[in-house]
Amino acid sequence: MSKVLGLALGILAAIGGFVDIGDLVFNVSAGATFGYELMWVIPIGVVGIIVYSEMCGRVAAVSGKAVFDAIRERVGFKAGLGALVSSEVVNLMTLAAEVGGVAIALQLLSGLPYRWLIVLAIVALLVVIWVTSFEWLERIFGYGGLCMLVFAVAAIKLGPSWTDVGKGFIPHIAGDSKLLYGYFIIGLLGAALTPYEVYFYSSGGIEDQWSPKDIGLNRANAIIGYGLGGFLSLALMVVGAALFLSRGISPEHLGTIALGAEVPLGQIGLLLALVGILFAVGGASIDTVFSGAYNLAQFCGWEWGRYRHARGAPRFALTWIVLLVLAMGIVLTGVDPVVLTEYAVIFSVVALPLTYIPILLVANDRAYMGRYGNGRLANVLGLLYLVVIVIVALSAVPLMILTNVGQN
Amino acid sequence: MCAGVCGVFVVAGCNGGTVDRHALTNDSSTLDSIACEGALLAHDVARGRSTVFFAREQAEELRIQSSNFADALSRRKTIPAIKDQVRQKAKHAATLAATLQQLHNHPSSRSVAASVERKLKKLGNCS
Repeated sequence: MSKVLGLALGILAAIGGFVDIGDLVFNVSAGATFGYELMWVIPIGVVGIIVYSEMCGRVAAVSGKAVFDAIRERVGFKAGLGALVSSEVVNLMTLAAEVGGVAIALQLLSGLPYRWLIVLAIVALLVVIWVTSFEWLERIFGYGGLCMLVFAVAAIKLGPSWTDVGKGFIPHIAGDSKLLYGYFIIGLLGAALTPYEVYFYSSGGIEDQWSPKDIGLNRANAIIGYGLGGFLSLALMVVGAALFLSRGISPEHLGTIALGAEVPLGQIGLLLALVGILFAVGGASIDTVFSGAYNLAQFCGWEWGRYRHARGAPRFALTWIVLLVLAMGIVLTGVDPVVLTEYAVIFSVVALPLTYIPILLVANDRAYMGRYGNGRLANVLGLLYLVVIVIVALSAVPLMILTNVGQN
Repeated sequence: MCAGVCGVFVVAGCNGGTVDRHALTNDSSTLDSIACEGALLAHDVARGRSTVFFAREQAEELRIQSSNFADALSRRKTIPAIKDQVRQKAKHAATLAATLQQLHNHPSSRSVAASVERKLKKLGNCS
């Protein structure tokens, strides 16, 4: 019974915790720009994150090693250092964007000044992380993020053409604006496969003290949690297409996304959307700040883990505090969190191969994994997605420049 | 990686060159988008379907955006053939900003919101 409850709670947290500011921005913008034409990209991204999360969760459960342990061991110091620097840069950009998102959501709820709310958001995150156990951090933000399900209701209420929605799941090339279409494909895949999710997932498995007997729980969490999280992404795209495309609105603010729930559902829809966004980006802030601290600590061989408390892992604790302060500094410069999100997602795509190749290598290493190594299906899917990831990584920056960050 | 990030920020984020026909078309469609979003927001305010804080802050965001366009379009270099169109568009953006300011100032007034909605729909040629 407790296992079933644990699974249910984990899945709920995963649904609420899947959508971050990158998903919000790219899914709604893709719908507002191309209607339902890009629906097919979301399942591809979701299956990819399921495949690799399951793999790194299994590695964590069997070997007790998280992703960056594996990176350091498998690719050596120099390449590992390159992976560390690139992942930390992208993590910090993403963290700053998420913190900015928290402040915007608070501003839209309270009407208080944005800059004060940035400071308040950082202080609140510091306090919450300091006093709350890892398990409850996951749950509080995951459950709060469930308010995002209001977008699924909004999508239905907006009455989209379900035939067109269905057609959108068939992969195809756009009739015109091919470069922009390509840019959105990269952005949607990048938002779904963002590396911090696997860093956090694998290290979280160790925080939760997974062992080989938890492999089934890991698989169920990854498949059902991310799968249903992908459902939220689809709902956001439908809202973008059904509400904004026909009106010629190009969403450039986080508030515009909340408007997508207000128009069909009124005040209650708006409030649920804002609370959902607050918890979703707040939870993602915690995931990214921990990912940054996990990566550095694992690479340097420091003691790490929220469960050790600050005294047991002082350098780990100092790292996440410094990262939060740096993120605050970045957002206080006045950079637009939505623009920062787009850059963070595209640059995270560039760093994807450095994250995913070592996971695939370790998950296949019988010395680490024994009888829990990858089976045929995991290897076929893993290799297939590796090809996709490399293609996407090589084309991300050129497409960003050619489309002026998706502006034309 | 850091140098790459900075370089691409500069290349992709640069938006201060001469205004040509393509840039004018892009800016025009963004201004129409702002107007139509403002109209949608005003529509909800007029029917009591929004909150005061949300209406006020979102209207302000849109006002700042259109005000920035007004400023940029009135100052930036343009190719001579479209100079008048660009300056006209700058005035259009300034009108849009002023209209959104009304919604920002009166986020709970249904009558102001209804009037703002009509003006914004006209400014943005919204459906």
